[in-house]
Amino acid sequence: MNLMQHRKLAALAIVGLSLTAAGCGNANNNNSGAAAATASDSAAPSSAAASPSESASASPSESASASTPAGNGETLTVYLNDFDTIVKPMFEAQTGYKLNIVSGNGAEIMSRIEAEKGNPHWDVVWMDAMPSIEGLGKAGQLMEGWEPTAAAGLTDFAKAFVPANKAYYPTGAHAAGVIVYNTKAFSAANAPKSWADLADAKYKGTVGMADPAVAAPAYPFVSWFFQDKGSEGGQTFFDDVLKNGAHVYPKNPNVAKALTGGEIKVAALQESNAYTLKNDGEPIEIVWPEEGAPASVRVAAIQKNSAHQDAAKAFVEFLLDPKTQQALIDEGDESYFQPSATGVTMKADRAQNAKLVAADASWASEHEAEIKQWFADRSVK
Amino acid sequence: MRFTIFAHGSRTGWLVLALLVLLIMLPLAAVVLQVLLPGFFFGSRQIGDLSLLGEMFRRPLWYLSLKNTLVLGLGTTALGTVLGAALATARSRWSFPGARLLDGAVWLLIVTPSFILAQGWVMFASSDGLAESWFGWHWVHDAVFTPAGLIAVMSLSKFPFAYLAVYSALEWKMDRLGEAGRLNGGTAWTVWRTIEAPLLLPAYCSGALLVFMDTVGDFGLPASIAAVFRFPTLPYSIYSALYTSPIRFDMAGVLSFYLVVLIALAMSVQFWALRRARFDFLGGRATRAKAERPRKGALLLASGNLLLLAIAVGIPLGANLLTSVTRPGKSGSSAFTLEHYRELFVEGGQLTDALLHSLSIAAFAAIVGLFVGLLVAYVLTYSKFKLKRAIDVISLVSLAVPGVVLGIGYIFIWNQAWLERIGLLLYGKPAILVLAGVAGAIPVITRIVTGAMAKVPQGLLSAAQMQGASFSRRVRTILLPLLRDALLSAALAAFGASVFDLAMTSILFPPNFMTLPVVINKAFEDLDFGYAAAATLTGGTAVVALILVMERIFKPKEARRPSR
Repeated sequence: MNLMQHRKLAALAIVGLSLTAAGCGNANNNNSGAAAATASDSAAPSSAAASPSESASASPSESASASTPAGNGETLTVYLNDFDTIVKPMFEAQTGYKLNIVSGNGAEIMSRIEAEKGNPHWDVVWMDAMPSIEGLGKAGQLMEGWEPTAAAGLTDFAKAFVPANKAYYPTGAHAAGVIVYNTKAFSAANAPKSWADLADAKYKGTVGMADPAVAAPAYPFVSWFFQDKGSEGGQTFFDDVLKNGAHVYPKNPNVAKALTGGEIKVAALQESNAYTLKNDGEPIEIVWPEEGAPASVRVAAIQKNSAHQDAAKAFVEFLLDPKTQQALIDEGDESYFQPSATGVTMKADRAQNAKLVAADASWASEHEAEIKQWFADRSVK
Repeated sequence: MRFTIFAHGSRTGWLVLALLVLLIMLPLAAVVLQVLLPGFFFGSRQIGDLSLLGEMFRRPLWYLSLKNTLVLGLGTTALGTVLGAALATARSRWSFPGARLLDGAVWLLIVTPSFILAQGWVMFASSDGLAESWFGWHWVHDAVFTPAGLIAVMSLSKFPFAYLAVYSALEWKMDRLGEAGRLNGGTAWTVWRTIEAPLLLPAYCSGALLVFMDTVGDFGLPASIAAVFRFPTLPYSIYSALYTSPIRFDMAGVLSFYLVVLIALAMSVQFWALRRARFDFLGGRATRAKAERPRKGALLLASGNLLLLAIAVGIPLGANLLTSVTRPGKSGSSAFTLEHYRELFVEGGQLTDALLHSLSIAAFAAIVGLFVGLLVAYVLTYSKFKLKRAIDVISLVSLAVPGVVLGIGYIFIWNQAWLERIGLLLYGKPAILVLAGVAGAIPVITRIVTGAMAKVPQGLLSAAQMQGASFSRRVRTILLPLLRDALLSAALAAFGASVFDLAMTSILFPPNFMTLPVVINKAFEDLDFGYAAAATLTGGTAVVALILVMERIFKPKEARRPSR
């Protein structure tokens, strides 16, 4: 009896341990074939090099392609929140460096970066969260003063976003919010045309928007009103919108779902979400307000103490390259945006009169905590 | 283990304490330290702002979170414990058709993470959900998305904790006590009320405490329903503080502090309820409980059981099932499809890897957790170790603290640059998930095992000790056989909970080392319900199959009931 129990326990332990070994072993030496991944998964096929100090030798890497003298097969770790599937093969083929991509939503990535403050594991961060990355620069985490060769080819609109200390470079901008309305509920004449209309009694209880505390693009959206109208004006504006029965959803996809589900009829919606709905044949129309749509700017920055500076610089150059941006627009998942490089064609169905406006990054970064807190407290009342 | 610095009986105590401090208290202390000294782990030394503690009652969002947490916690504890205890009592006393289904359902609910259950309810009850589109029930939405509705939903998913605690305590019983009561003219109800229930108080209490802690610390439900109904709770607000930029460790710390205070209060209620009483009532005449056919009412039991399971399991999992095999078509119709399941396995084995990662971490966590949990329960129940109370508190605290917070603590502790030199920089490596998994498994195991151990009298062990049996022999020949069922339940519960631990793994998963809950949650975030539901069912099926196999292997033969 006792012996039996022992055997069973031992068997259980062995099963558990071998499972564990299998799991961990998998992390260290599987190369699950670079398969195409969908938007819902974010991990690229594994190479276990988790920290920059580990070299690519941690995983059996194929030799760098011979046609590219620049890269030496070293691994660059990039934190990003979109385009993970498309940039990896392109960059690796062009430069011969290896990319280790860590993707997540904006808040996740910022949490990781914050948590790693004492010992960063990333070399480059590339996200549509300019105020937050500006904040990283203020905290002394970013490499400053380096100018990519490709920066000369930036559009005038994009040049305005390059900070004086050159800590980060814009790779594109998209509307954090455009007005979207249900065409079955409102005719074009009755539809909201300007941001002020969101507080109009005509749309009482039918408006939806994303929560700036959760959704990455929602803060750039909200902060523009606060800078444009002044702190009190911004509060009054959103007070009126919320009093008008506006629904606040955690993220833009939730807003889109509420719109198709009929919970709301009008929304301030991030533009890729809006165009996706329209292309799916949903009964909606997109309005670009004349005063402009608040922009969310996607920027790339290099960690100050990165051990892979050459590879990091090569990656930023690659992102500013018109060819890359064209590929993102043609094949990417967040393809509705205004490119930062000259000579890139936008999506054909993107409004030609799309006017983007943006809050000053330094101002937005400074007031980020208080505006988000005010909004969170105000929206539960 | 052979040093004599410590008194003989305290060695185990110190070992247990050291383990618990390393796994649980240290990371937690790191979070608190971060509140007091923001930047401590990043090389700056400045005093934090303690006025935040008072903000709790001034900030509308926080105050509402606290209120919601309390309402949900207390309501669910009352309803869930009553439900779990009643079911466990009925199940151990009577056999009725469909009783086996209840066993399966309990495990299913334990291994199914709350965010999946909540998502199932959302799919069922949202304004364009299944209740509306398939049955035309407009009232469901308004019934479910209210505090009372959420309490009901929560109770239906948390009652297994109370069920397991009570059921494992009913494994051995002293029929003679009850028989004496009956001989003296007590009705069955009187006997239960005055003899059986009071003797099982520790089990009821640990069940209730488990339900309470799991509810107030639950992050899955508020996170899932946030899409359709704003119901911020403390864990959700903690998560919001961590998952926003600039990240607010200080606020997360303050909210965590209040959450821990809530748990501490709940624990003191339990200590007060169990003060100065002894519950070691098992004697030489104890018999293993055997379910018997009730003289009447078997049908009533069976139908009540089925109805309950249809609601508790049928609705959320049924909603997932339907979602996983249908493709919403235009104009509200839906078409049958297996495409979501195909997606799982075509993309370079994303799900397969994640599932394997989660299963292996959970298996390891359950085994190590069982060892540690058994020691903890032993020290708590029998030893004279002077820091016993501290051990109890720590083992509970880890249940009380949401995984999100503990996860952040793990990062602070295991991501310090100096660890790199000694090869212990675990952040960003799979090992940290194993550590976190063990930390998560300990409290569940400890609670269940302590509840069962309370019935084994010290005298049995003392007698063996007098005969010269060593500690390991006493555990092996007395405790293990008596606690076998409880240990198995505890290990399997911990395993199931660990596989689907979303909060910890989403904070700690190393780059490109996905876990099952992370994969599912990402699909949900992208509103890819079909993929998420298919991944859930695939993962859930694997876990349940493993658990059933384990039960089959390790259940003592005489305890296996004839299946009906």
